[in-house]
Amino acid sequence: MSLTVALSKGKLLSGAESLFRRAGLPFPAAEGRRLVVSAEGLRFLFVRDMDVPTYVEHGVADCGIAGRDVLLETGADVYEPLDLGFGRCRLVVAQPRGATLGRRSTIRVATRYPRVTAAHFLGRGVPTEVVTLAGSVEIAPGLGLADCIVDVVETGRTLEENGLEAVEDVAASSARLVVNRAGFHARREEVARLIEALRRAVA
Amino acid sequence: MSGTPHTRAQIPAGAQCFVGDEARRRRAIEARVLSVFEGWDYEEIIPPLFDYADVFGDGALASKTYSFVGRDGSLLALRPDFTSLLAKIAAGRLLDRPAPMRLYYSGEVLRYEPPQAGRQSELHQMGLEHLGGAGRAADAEVLAIAAECLDALDARGCVLALGHVGVFGGLAAAAGLAGDDVETLRERISRRDPEGVASALRRRGIGGAIADGLVGLTTLGAGPEALDQAVERFACCPPAARAVGEVAEVVAALAAAGLGPRLALDLGEVRGLDYYTGLVFRIYAPDLGFEVGAGGRYDALLARFGRPMPAVGFMLGLDRLERLLERQGRLGAAPPPAAEVVSGPSLGAALSRARERRAQGARVRLGGS
Repeated sequence: MSLTVALSKGKLLSGAESLFRRAGLPFPAAEGRRLVVSAEGLRFLFVRDMDVPTYVEHGVADCGIAGRDVLLETGADVYEPLDLGFGRCRLVVAQPRGATLGRRSTIRVATRYPRVTAAHFLGRGVPTEVVTLAGSVEIAPGLGLADCIVDVVETGRTLEENGLEAVEDVAASSARLVVNRAGFHARREEVARLIEALRRAVA
Repeated sequence: MSGTPHTRAQIPAGAQCFVGDEARRRRAIEARVLSVFEGWDYEEIIPPLFDYADVFGDGALASKTYSFVGRDGSLLALRPDFTSLLAKIAAGRLLDRPAPMRLYYSGEVLRYEPPQAGRQSELHQMGLEHLGGAGRAADAEVLAIAAECLDALDARGCVLALGHVGVFGGLAAAAGLAGDDVETLRERISRRDPEGVASALRRRGIGGAIADGLVGLTTLGAGPEALDQAVERFACCPPAARAVGEVAEVVAALAAAGLGPRLALDLGEVRGLDYYTGLVFRIYAPDLGFEVGAGGRYDALLARFGRPMPAVGFMLGLDRLERLLERQGRLGAAPPPAAEVVSGPSLGAALSRARERRAQGARVRLGGS
């Protein structure tokens, strides 16, 4: 039985493709709407970025590529043997330029990362109301939905265009290879070969 | 009434209910596993469903325990785990029994799991405890029994992955780490993240052979050759080297008994119940994403109940075994034979005919009238 790899069609896809090619591993043409594609001995699943860790945790996929931001948020119980080096970004707290957050006793934070956000603020004793959104988080402060946001930034342009500035780092993120725990042990040879091929391609 | 409003048919998240083939298959799995336990001369204990909450300790399970206040004001808990209960029974009700004691159990535990995790709150566990026996012999015995259970179920490709809490414990102590630093490191090792481990150590200014050893926990292989590499790698830290030596002794005994191919080394397994003190293991299969069972040595637990003695045990999760065997197409519980429909001119006559056929061993269904 071939190994199954979970990928998202989002921003990590091109990095994943060039990594697999450098490693001499097959990679499917990402055209069309098929979500399960086989390519020379590997099977690929195309799923939502937040869902990659779930597929791997449950063993439906043996391994996958997920951002550290997504791993922190989902808390999925998976192995992370390899930092793949691409998809680098930061999870930050951002607020309207020039605003002072410290004045309010409870702060409202809009985010796609409710778990990370709650842990970050509550862990420091800051009363927090988390407003969970699925996207376009940057507009929340300007519309009065939240005082600040927690989101990923690469260049900071989106923040700037929406009148926000990053004021605090929450975590650094990059793409990780994630591996199912049972498969890591019960299909050791195949999984180890894949990890090793990717490790050489990263180095 | 209080709590969440619910419809008449609604069940609480995490509650389970089994019907038909599935229920039959679960009973069949349980019967096979328990007959292996009996075959190794273990004795069944049916412990209480609830006990004082403090029996279950304040470790990782405490936050998942359903506890409630009893009529007399004492804090009680539904059992989240069997091992603490059996330890208490061995130190109390069975105080006059000489060690070693070989005990087993089969039943449900209750754990609160956040609903979104998709986990069940009721889990059926089958397990055994070897209490007061000599170290390595007892370790090897319970591992051999675990392997036989999997054979008895005809499960394919299962691996017993062996670790030892003394390896990480020894290295962390030698590095002078304590508190949150140990937990950060434990978390990164449990994720098999070598770079994460290395950078956590760099932040604390730890380098050299001890740091190499800690990183090695995430990268060591699984085969017999990895055991030799581990002995070399941990030579700088005698407690860690001793722990590897214990694993090697158990592996040698099991290999001599023909179980070598079923074993893997997994010294990066640093999580799990905090009462483990020595060898630990988890059982993995290729067709299920989660372990189907786990066990280990817990030499300090019995002392909590006033009867210090070494102990080792393991449990198999019935829910996961059932799913695994279904995926592997094993143990397709044969449907029962078709029932014989019995009827008669009157209810009394039908009943009497049915009783007659029952006495002859038939499966009957009252019908007709």
